[in-house]
Amino acid sequence: MRLRRTLVFSRRALLQFRHDRRTFAFVLIMPLLMILIFGYTFGGDVKGISIEVVNHDTGLPSGSSPLLPTGLFLAQNITQNLDQDVLLLHTNTDSENAQQIVRDGKAWAAIVFPANFTQNFLSFLTRPDLISSPKVEIYLDGSNPTMVAAIIKEVTKSIQTTLKELSATLNITQAEMPIAIEQVYAYGGGETRFIDYFAPGVVSFAIMMVTTMITIILFVNERRNGTLQRLLVSPASESEIVVGYALAFAVIGVIQSIVVLVAAILFFGITIVGNIFLALFVILLLAFGHQGLGILLSAGAKNELQAIQFIPLILFPSILLAGLFWPIESIPSYLQPLSYLIPLRYGIDAERSIMLRGWGVGEIWVDIGILVLFAVLTLSASVLLLKRKN
Amino acid sequence: MKVCCSLQKQVSCPSCKTILLCIGTEDETVKVTCPSCGLVGKVTFNESSDASVKVVEIRNLTKSFGAFTAVDALDLTIFKGEIYGLLGPNGSGKTTIIKMLCNLLRPTAGSAKIFGHLLPCKSIMNQIGYMPQDTAIYLDNTVHENLFFFGGIYGMTKNQLEKKEHEMLAFVNLQDWRDSLVSTLSGGMKHRLSLACALIHEPLLVFLDEPTVGVDPELRATFWGYFESLAQKGTTVIITTHYMDEADHCSRVGFLRQGCLIADGRPDELKKHTGTRSLEEAFLFLTRGKKP
Repeated sequence: MRLRRTLVFSRRALLQFRHDRRTFAFVLIMPLLMILIFGYTFGGDVKGISIEVVNHDTGLPSGSSPLLPTGLFLAQNITQNLDQDVLLLHTNTDSENAQQIVRDGKAWAAIVFPANFTQNFLSFLTRPDLISSPKVEIYLDGSNPTMVAAIIKEVTKSIQTTLKELSATLNITQAEMPIAIEQVYAYGGGETRFIDYFAPGVVSFAIMMVTTMITIILFVNERRNGTLQRLLVSPASESEIVVGYALAFAVIGVIQSIVVLVAAILFFGITIVGNIFLALFVILLLAFGHQGLGILLSAGAKNELQAIQFIPLILFPSILLAGLFWPIESIPSYLQPLSYLIPLRYGIDAERSIMLRGWGVGEIWVDIGILVLFAVLTLSASVLLLKRKN
Repeated sequence: MKVCCSLQKQVSCPSCKTILLCIGTEDETVKVTCPSCGLVGKVTFNESSDASVKVVEIRNLTKSFGAFTAVDALDLTIFKGEIYGLLGPNGSGKTTIIKMLCNLLRPTAGSAKIFGHLLPCKSIMNQIGYMPQDTAIYLDNTVHENLFFFGGIYGMTKNQLEKKEHEMLAFVNLQDWRDSLVSTLSGGMKHRLSLACALIHEPLLVFLDEPTVGVDPELRATFWGYFESLAQKGTTVIITTHYMDEADHCSRVGFLRQGCLIADGRPDELKKHTGTRSLEEAFLFLTRGKKP
């Protein structure tokens, strides 16, 4: 294999993209649109969730406890600490009515504080062995898990804030708190948003889709126009053709990744913890492997129309099984083994580990190994495919 | 007094088997460097005539697709500097023969040698030019980029390419379209560019599969003039066509019918032998057994 001749192939492919502005725009804009649309629609946390609040709490008679301030209405404090941006609160006096509103679909939840809420809290503080902890009842419309998760998260956060305030102003230590929850994060500092989780996936997914589709179409055209025949009659070897294209896709892949990552940083302020060059290296492995896959699939298509029919075949397994949106753990267990067959899974996993956890080769060598294997297998198979003659 | 005329000689590099074209005068010994492996050697020009150099030797070449026999036990030898025309109706096996000689199809039986090398052989590929029937150029690149690409894969340097591009553009009359995208060109222009791409690396053996289809008469005459000048320089040209009238330009023609070579000879010989006035009449005589 000669490098100079190999570069002749890369150069031509890149020049073609320069002339075909629309395809080049597709290559750059497709992933850009994806990160913007998903980032803005999915990425932000839910806001303005309608909630009914029923507060029966009678509070604490004055002077009844040396521990807590006089006239404390714990339920009121918690309500005040709820994020009014996320939760749209309506005060209700009747818990039955509030629940009906939820059943009618006019509110996502009803939060009910019982009459003895604050008193139970005091009793629990003094005799935790005798009395169970005070309870907030949340009556939920469980039809939307995202809403449920957001509501529970907000209420928990508000209870924690309220308890923290009490511990700060009074002489209760953290250890005595009835429902103290200490959250410690190994990665992400508890502020990992959907977009942070999503961005490494989009980069990998965009490279996979673009490389596979464009390779299929390029090679279908090479066959149909007869240019491939001409190349095979030249002194160029099949591996020079394949590697020549691979280098062109490497250039495109790197440009694409940089565009997506810069957009993700500018628009959503994501932070990349790990080594950006390692992230780009994984992208290249993904591009090489899928270029090989594209050449192999191109043998199964006679024209562009048939090539397009491959899109759903590649798209859906990747979206659903590779852990792009949802963790693989959320796929039914009998389908989970299938995800091991999707190369994109390893790409996404590696990119997340690098960008979010700051991991290096030592931790993700399995992913890298599988991607290298995938690339070597598909590229050598495509060289053999080009060598096959009637 | 010695007549000074330049001679050509094909030699095979002893190390990497690449075929080289050397130019010199009679009884001269020149130093030659192999462009592929860099080996330096000496070549002596002692033959004044190379008309007997066998470029293509085909023996019993057969290709079947299932029950259909496209090429049936073909025997043919083509010599250096010939313009050999493969003539025959559609489906007579012309393209199949070319594809087997270009190593694109594997023969069912028989063998072929090019420059004395038994096919398949990669080392002769740098001396072969091939223009397929399909346009076979890149539509999303410019004329210039296509020429540089096809020259580039034959290892031509930028200087060589620039010089040769100028000549090729003039030959196919596309000087004004150098920077146009191929997809914007007319069908005939694409065809001309395709021919230029097959010849830019100055091959010793050229396969042209219907090079004159869709080319206007004036330019067709230019093409044949160019082919004749190539042949005079020692290039061997193998052309398929079903235009019998232009086959008179060939130094030798072979008539193909249903995969069989039914006649092979110089155009004037064939006409004389069949007692006809044109190759078309000669062909009809040979296939139908009577004069039109």
